[in-house]
Amino acid sequence: MTEATVETSPTSSGVIAKPELPSNGKADVLILMRNLWKTYDMGAEKVHALHGVSFEVTRGDYLAITGPSGSGKSTLMNLIGCLDTPSQGEYWLNGKNVSEMDDDELARIRNQEVGFVFQTFNLLARATALHNVELPLIYGGIPGAKRHEMAKQALAEVDLADRMMHRPNELSGGQRQRVAIARALVNHPSILLADEPTGALDTSTSYDIMNLFEKLHEAGNTIILVTHEHDIAARAHRIISIRDGLIEKDERIR
Amino acid sequence: MNFIDLKESAFMALDTVRANKLRSMLTILGVSVGVVTVVFMVSIIQGLNKSFAEQIEALGSNSIWMTKFEPSFGHQPNSEELHRKELTLDDADAVRREAPSAMSVSPLYRKIAETVRYEDKQSDTPILLGVTPYYEFTQSSYVGRGRFITDLDVEERSNVCVVGQDLVKALFPFTDPLDKQVKIAGKPFKVIGVMEPLGNFLGQSRDNSIFIPIKTFEKYYPELHFPESIYVIIVRPVSRAYVKSAVDEMTDIMRRRRRVPLGAPNTFGISSQDALLDIYNQLTGATYLVLTAISFVALMIGGIGVMNIMLVSVTERTKEIGLRKAVGATRSNILWQFLIEAVVLTGIGGLLGLAVGELASILMNKYSPLPAFVPVWAIGVGVGVSAAVGIVFGLWPAWKAARLDPIESLRYE
Ligand SMILES: Nc1ncnc2c1ncn2[C@@H]1O[C@H](COP(=O)(O)OP(=O)(O)OP(=O)(O)O)[C@@H](O)[C@H]1O
Ligand SMILES: [Mg+2]
Repeated sequence: MTEATVETSPTSSGVIAKPELPSNGKADVLILMRNLWKTYDMGAEKVHALHGVSFEVTRGDYLAITGPSGSGKSTLMNLIGCLDTPSQGEYWLNGKNVSEMDDDELARIRNQEVGFVFQTFNLLARATALHNVELPLIYGGIPGAKRHEMAKQALAEVDLADRMMHRPNELSGGQRQRVAIARALVNHPSILLADEPTGALDTSTSYDIMNLFEKLHEAGNTIILVTHEHDIAARAHRIISIRDGLIEKDERIR
Repeated sequence: MNFIDLKESAFMALDTVRANKLRSMLTILGVSVGVVTVVFMVSIIQGLNKSFAEQIEALGSNSIWMTKFEPSFGHQPNSEELHRKELTLDDADAVRREAPSAMSVSPLYRKIAETVRYEDKQSDTPILLGVTPYYEFTQSSYVGRGRFITDLDVEERSNVCVVGQDLVKALFPFTDPLDKQVKIAGKPFKVIGVMEPLGNFLGQSRDNSIFIPIKTFEKYYPELHFPESIYVIIVRPVSRAYVKSAVDEMTDIMRRRRRVPLGAPNTFGISSQDALLDIYNQLTGATYLVLTAISFVALMIGGIGVMNIMLVSVTERTKEIGLRKAVGATRSNILWQFLIEAVVLTGIGGLLGLAVGELASILMNKYSPLPAFVPVWAIGVGVGVSAAVGIVFGLWPAWKAARLDPIESLRYE
């Protein structure tokens, strides 16, 4: 497979001002996206997965992104999580212009600022729950003893203190996702992202996971999750609906 | 790159080994074979070098040899060499008189094997040496019991002999050899002395000699020439520091005696221990090259095995690499982890190889005449070489892993 070559330079117009830094009266802006494009060059045709998405997320918000399959939800989430770079547009995360960063800087942002939860958990199969949770700390350069401490605490937060030494195949689906959530939380990121976190779980387990997200939100975490289930989206405080790579609706429900 | 990376890399590496036991074993084996080859080759060469150097040292350390021909191996004589004059006892006397750096001069005839009988016992292997009284001091090899050959024995061409320890064992297991009558090539000789034991040189006994007066040798073997018999003038210089001046003086004396024109090459051979070492190095140089080539090929094969397992490992773990990148691993983190994984694999192979190589050389020392010796630095070489194989052959797979795109890797099934 050939590597998709995407332009990573932001718009050259330079008209976009740096977002206002939090002032007393204003809500604290954590994410700011301006006119974000993601284009896949498929040879003959160009696939615009996102064309011109702009929005802001304030610190402490709980946001659900919904939309039909193929509408660009995952593409957007990957951009927010700095796993991918936009073809065009500007993206500020926690006061840093992410759209201008190089590979190593992005790795650092992913490590420090973002906690990502995947639909399929993505745990290291042969590592214990504890080691899985420690992974971001390892790349964050945190020394052993402190790392254990932090990972244990994160596991306790998701009620898995008694499963630390279990490997993924010794855990239920819900427990695996909780390990993944602990891994996302362990570095105290400024934002928690989840792309269909309940997509691989049954209804009652999904419920537990959603309760956990709610608890984490109440504890002060900023959460963005992607879902196409209405009752899950309905538990967030704000819902963005996207269709064909564009924001169709952006409503606050709480 | 820091310590944390190292631990995580070791974890990853052991994980790979655990998950793919058979494949890892084969890879490790490949590297082991390479390292065994290297260590084994090095140890053979080192063993030869060491024992040769030691024993040359022991051979009457600084002696200089003057012979009809220059010492060399596998070289056809040219016309000048074919018409050379033999060295003589007078040449030896001249050197003794005129070379101040020569402390002692011992001319001798040496016949490679002669039959010696005593009553019903016989030995066909002893080296027959026609010597003067100077032999003992020049060669630092002394008579143990009885007496050595004297000037009188030489002048009278008497039938007396001094025997080495091997002959004592072969011919006189139960009797005292002194004053007994032996037959050398059918001629009767009286045993007047027994040499002190000398031990081995390159696996060859040095005690398998029998000495007779030099003129007695000339009496019985007047027409015997190179290569059945050689005539050597052995010179012991005043000290190690005088080797060179002794060689120069001897060369001068001989060239004058033979009237060799200025600029023409010597018409005789002259060599010191250093020259002997030169020949030895000539001989081993070629062997060295072949052994090195063999080791290289063996290591290449091991290395390709490592590259193969690493490429498979990278492909199989694409998703894992994506995840690691998603939680903050940089390209260099991933690169190092896979490199270290490769080095751990080859390192295990290397250690295994070293162990086997060491064992083989121990066995070789015990059960074969070839001396093998694993110097401490060979262990370093083995470890270094296996690590280098890991780095060289692990680099490309690691680079491939490091460049993977996080999103594409996470999607990889
Ligand atoms: N690597 C890629 N190469 C080409 N096209 C891509 C690539 N990734 C995504 N796309 C296209 O971009 C569009 C958006 O994909 P995306 O995965 O964001 O959809 P989604 O909203 O997450 O869908 P789903 O609900 O099914 O997960 C799709 O049309 C998809 O085909
Ligand atoms: Mg999706």
